[in-house]
Amino acid sequence: MIRTLLATAASASLLAAAAQAQTYAITNARALMTGTASSPADAEGVTIVVRRGRIEAMGPNVRIPSNAEVIDAAGGYVTPGLFAAVSALGLEEIGLNREGNDRSAEEDVGLSVSFDAADGFYEATTAIPVARAAGVTRAYVAPDPGDDLFGGCGMVVTLSGGDEPIVERCVAQTVSLGYAGAAREGDSRLAAMARLRRALADARAYQDDPDRYAETYEAGRLAAADAAALVPLLTGEQKMLAFVNGASDIKRVLAMAEEYGIDLVIYGAAEAHLVAEEIAAAGVPVVVDPVKNLPYQFEQLGATLEAPAILEAAGVTVAFYDDDIAYTHNLGLLTQLAGNAVANGMSYNGALSAITMGPARIWGQDDRFGLIGPGRTADLVVWDGDPLEVTSNPVAVFIDGEEMSLENRQKALTERYRDLTRGDRPFAYRD
Amino acid sequence: MGRSAWTAGLMLAAMVGLAACGDGGPKADLPNPDPFPSTYEPYPSDAFSLVGATILTGTGERIENGVVTVSGGRIVRVGAADDVRQVQGITEVDAAGKVITPGVIDIHSHLGVYPSPSFDSTSDGNEATAPNTAGVWAENSVWPQDPGFTRALAGGVTSLQILPGSANLFGGRSVVLKNVPARTVQAMKFPGAPYGMKMACGENPKRVYGDQGGPSTRMGNMRGYREGFQAAKEYARGWTKYENNPEGDPPARDLANETIAGVLSGDVLLHMHCYRADEIAQILDLSKEYGFKVSAFHHAVEAYKVADLLAENDVCAAIWADWWGFKLEAYDATPANAALVVAQPGGCAVIHSDSELGIQRLNQEAAKAMADGARFGIDIEPEQAIAWITANPAKAMGILDETGTIEPGKMADLVVWDGDPFSVYTKAERVFIDGALMYDANDPAVSPRTDFELGQRGNGGTGGAGQ
Repeated sequence: MIRTLLATAASASLLAAAAQAQTYAITNARALMTGTASSPADAEGVTIVVRRGRIEAMGPNVRIPSNAEVIDAAGGYVTPGLFAAVSALGLEEIGLNREGNDRSAEEDVGLSVSFDAADGFYEATTAIPVARAAGVTRAYVAPDPGDDLFGGCGMVVTLSGGDEPIVERCVAQTVSLGYAGAAREGDSRLAAMARLRRALADARAYQDDPDRYAETYEAGRLAAADAAALVPLLTGEQKMLAFVNGASDIKRVLAMAEEYGIDLVIYGAAEAHLVAEEIAAAGVPVVVDPVKNLPYQFEQLGATLEAPAILEAAGVTVAFYDDDIAYTHNLGLLTQLAGNAVANGMSYNGALSAITMGPARIWGQDDRFGLIGPGRTADLVVWDGDPLEVTSNPVAVFIDGEEMSLENRQKALTERYRDLTRGDRPFAYRD
Repeated sequence: MGRSAWTAGLMLAAMVGLAACGDGGPKADLPNPDPFPSTYEPYPSDAFSLVGATILTGTGERIENGVVTVSGGRIVRVGAADDVRQVQGITEVDAAGKVITPGVIDIHSHLGVYPSPSFDSTSDGNEATAPNTAGVWAENSVWPQDPGFTRALAGGVTSLQILPGSANLFGGRSVVLKNVPARTVQAMKFPGAPYGMKMACGENPKRVYGDQGGPSTRMGNMRGYREGFQAAKEYARGWTKYENNPEGDPPARDLANETIAGVLSGDVLLHMHCYRADEIAQILDLSKEYGFKVSAFHHAVEAYKVADLLAENDVCAAIWADWWGFKLEAYDATPANAALVVAQPGGCAVIHSDSELGIQRLNQEAAKAMADGARFGIDIEPEQAIAWITANPAKAMGILDETGTIEPGKMADLVVWDGDPFSVYTKAERVFIDGALMYDANDPAVSPRTDFELGQRGNGGTGGAGQ
């Protein structure tokens, strides 16, 4: 990538001072995820003009503003910023150590329905600069169900590192079903579904008459605060993000969502491809780990690398996540997940969409994020190669039209220790 | 290092099938060092040549338009197609456009001991009942019907080391397997492979035993290691004495001490789970105190901080490409770890999986580590990086004489990739183990399916291994 400055006034110090106001022109770009959400396209040899946080223009012959910093992509790929569909970013600085993990409550504290991910969000997490350097610009942050069926409400965040990390709060309520639900409710799927229905009935009663709910409260029902926290599921203000894997469990959840009028998103979804037609008909999006192909439980016997391709063919909105090593600390591996989906039959645009437009659409952000086009938020990544290839990396990342630093703690450690010869001072004195 | 006579004698006895050696006097009643012998036999294969592929030999060499010839399950020649004459009776197989590498080797796997399905009843990887369980052998936990073995095969894995977990200071013996489906673990055991012993540094042992009598600190961990090695040293002395003068009863047998004594004699290779640089340095000192060698530091997230020490001591760092942050001792990670390790003269990097998913694409993990090196100005060629998942793990597992590179005389453990193995889009197309075709991505009949998955709904996929 070659960088040139057209504007003579745009010296380095001015750039820093006026970062928010900087205008950029990314020239000679091979832009991916242009077009429309349902039919993403590629555009070669285009210039993308970024001004005031938005993509102002894109095309082969657009005028480059005189004050723009020009970034020559040299024919390289430009994608929308990557969007992590489900993560615990900012909720766990350290996964396995209790001092560094707020994903869920260790014991049943009786209030998990009303947990709010925003209350535990650690915006200084080192996982954000690491993920950002890998091209991730937005993430959905979900609290986990601990010992309870519910996790609380999750949110959409930006990885810009700015003062206002939360894009939208309380977007969805997390619920564990299938074996994960059974494990929390007496080792029985029957108990988990019954508990969920009772909770929704409580929420409905609370919605109808909060005073009467309090007056007639009896043990075993949801506390008023928790019932209130579930009401947005019934009104459609919040979605239900249900962790469910088995085909039969998925069908039960689809039926329940229809019965209660709930806006459902399923994740895990190891056997979703076996009921892809039903899921597509219900208009329910699916978040899957495209490389999870082992029968960890009976409900995952159908797990296959071909699931993304099958879901795509059925017309299901698909997004990718990894519930293990790339759930929080390696969000940059979303591209590797997508590349593997392509290797197993999914279309290239379908796989790229599953880490950009798909999550944006699932979380109601598709008017702003997930595509490259005029008027859209300028979350952009310029790559040094095919973005889905494991050997490729971002060379520039923009969030809200602002060029991001690609520095992070990992790079600092690398620089400190790349030369192990004994210096005049200890390593701790090196930058 | 000073091999103790009695363990060396045990190995000799095992090799020549004798219970004891000696001349005339009373015979020493020595323990059987191989109570669960390998019954693995290579499957039949024809003599064939793979012609026209790019070959990454694992020795650092790259051959364009190459030929590999296999006969009797062994590699008999490898070279450029122009230099190799066709030989009568050897089938020529067109491999133009393909890339051939040695079979992939995973030095760190828990397949079979933590299998799928993941039930409490199948969780057999950590004998978390005492900090020193050196007397347990992972092979006694391996369930050969773990579907994970078949998925790993589709990823090109031909050999793998199954380790006990990391709950204990001394976790027990590992076992090296050929990735060939079998009814019994014995029929998977890599013939002649040395045993390994698993040990663990840091967080895990102190977490597990902190409220069970200890160790509860890292200094407690170190005391536990030293007491374990000291006891084994004294134990070995007793057996050596008995062997030299086999009058009377043999010493009481102790399985834990026997395994640790094997590490002291060099017959059992030590695989040390150790994340932090400062702990790695202390274990290297421990190895000098007791005169043993560490074969590899596993999960060495901070290897790059002591890459010089590792190279000086000829110890491999077995690492992930980019895992980090799941525990505090994995906080100081860099994706340049492997590159920084091999940037030292004599540095040895191994990319390992520790994962039933990661083992299916170790080629991609090596590719990332290679590319991340380049980002930091350390250029590594694919013919070098391939050694991270072939020759180097073979070396650290003590099987490099038999596999891990494409050289005449070695086992014909080969992967034919359908393109550049360092691309996310590339798949293992054909996998040969000892010359026998064990997986063919284009032929569902050459794709194993375990008993557990047989007759179940939903196994559409590609038919077993590649599912």
